[in-house]
Amino acid sequence: MASGYLLNRGALTLGIHCQRVCRNISLSQVREKKRWMKAYTYLMAKKLKLEGPPPPTPRSQQPHWDYHAEVQAFTHRLHENFSLELLKTAFINPCYLQMEQEKRKGLGVESETAALVLKDNLQLSKKGSAFAESFLTDWCRASFPSLPAIGVESIVGHLTSPTVITYVARNLGIEDLTMSAEFPVPDDVLCSTFMAVIGALQESSGAERTGLFLRDFLVTQLIGNDLFDMWTVVNPMGLLVEELTKRKIPLPEPRLIRSAGASTVLPLYFVGLYSDKKLLAQGPGETLAAAEEEAARVALRKLYGYTENRRPFDFSPQQQHQQPFIQSVASN
Amino acid sequence: MTSRGTPSRFLRSVLQNGVGRYVCQLKRISIIFSKKAQSSLGARDFIEEGVVDYANKNPGTVIYVSPQPCRVPKIVAEYLNGNVREETITSKTSQQISELLTKLTNQSGLEIIRIRKPIHTDSPSIQGLWHPFTNRPPSIGPIRPQKPDSQ
Repeated sequence: MASGYLLNRGALTLGIHCQRVCRNISLSQVREKKRWMKAYTYLMAKKLKLEGPPPPTPRSQQPHWDYHAEVQAFTHRLHENFSLELLKTAFINPCYLQMEQEKRKGLGVESETAALVLKDNLQLSKKGSAFAESFLTDWCRASFPSLPAIGVESIVGHLTSPTVITYVARNLGIEDLTMSAEFPVPDDVLCSTFMAVIGALQESSGAERTGLFLRDFLVTQLIGNDLFDMWTVVNPMGLLVEELTKRKIPLPEPRLIRSAGASTVLPLYFVGLYSDKKLLAQGPGETLAAAEEEAARVALRKLYGYTENRRPFDFSPQQQHQQPFIQSVASN
Repeated sequence: MTSRGTPSRFLRSVLQNGVGRYVCQLKRISIIFSKKAQSSLGARDFIEEGVVDYANKNPGTVIYVSPQPCRVPKIVAEYLNGNVREETITSKTSQQISELLTKLTNQSGLEIIRIRKPIHTDSPSIQGLWHPFTNRPPSIGPIRPQKPDSQ
């Protein structure tokens, strides 16, 4: 549009292009070779190498961000009906509220004129973590009826541990929506935000829907994990002896089944555990002791029904968490 | 470059998506285009006709439409696992842009690099993995008490 351009006398000779921003301001761009460009690029690269990359900024401070739309999309994405107020409260952490209060004091704004009408998520978080633990314990007991209480606790402890919860929260987009004082969001803050979201879901949709949510996002993290990765057992043979005495099965006797390369650097021994001359389990190892321990672990996995070839958990949408009762009995 | 020189990954899903419920992995889309340039013609047509339908079909994705003076119109897609993909839509028609958007919606956010195996399983064996001792008869027979030599 001609009216937007200011044609200088120098425009044609020097190749200067002036763009009018408003009546008194115009930006000029020169068409000729910019000889300063190379030095500038090298200087900026040197500065980057010296100081390292710039610190990460939260997504809310980058362009294209609409908090309300993001929260709505969050609910739709997970196919859940959250009450939006509860969900927005769930994302607000106490460290954020403190930071806001200090900012307001620093700016000299009185607390009466601009009161901070935000509640933090501590209550929701406590509620959510209590519900999560109770649901996961019930689910574990239903899926593995023969697993002892310590085993159930260890599995639930692993599923509610900060590593697993932060991994799940980061891959669900909760980190973008969290309001916290520091960025990147510290692990404990992210954990409590996730639990607060669970609490908000429980209050909005009820215990059943929250149970399905936990099953779909936390229990799926069990896939591919072995029992003794989550539950450290120091003396598997002792535990096996206890379990067998409880079930009144004769005690196991270890026997060497196979061996190969006994005089080499990598020997292999297969030790089998026999109770009343019937094979319970066999396991490999580099030394006889290691093989015996591994055989005890294999026997424990068989007893508790946590083998690799067990029937997979039921994640179908309609059925509830009562189903595993029937399935785990049938698989054994 | 060869397969060893370029990055590669194994087939996987983000957070076991699909095992429980299916979550659309696309978080947000920013459409950056120009109001007057020729290259953004398709983008402008798409925004007139198709973007509202797309938004209604995918309620879990936030769409930011940003007209700014730019030479190259882009779509910036952000995924739940943090990856960001930029696609240029210079001189694409509205139809092509909507096809591109369906493609981006259906992707998980994992990188588009060589996938080493087209399969993945968490339970590789039902009857137990084979090892050299499977189905091998024992090298010595059953151990019996020695018969006394009576001669």
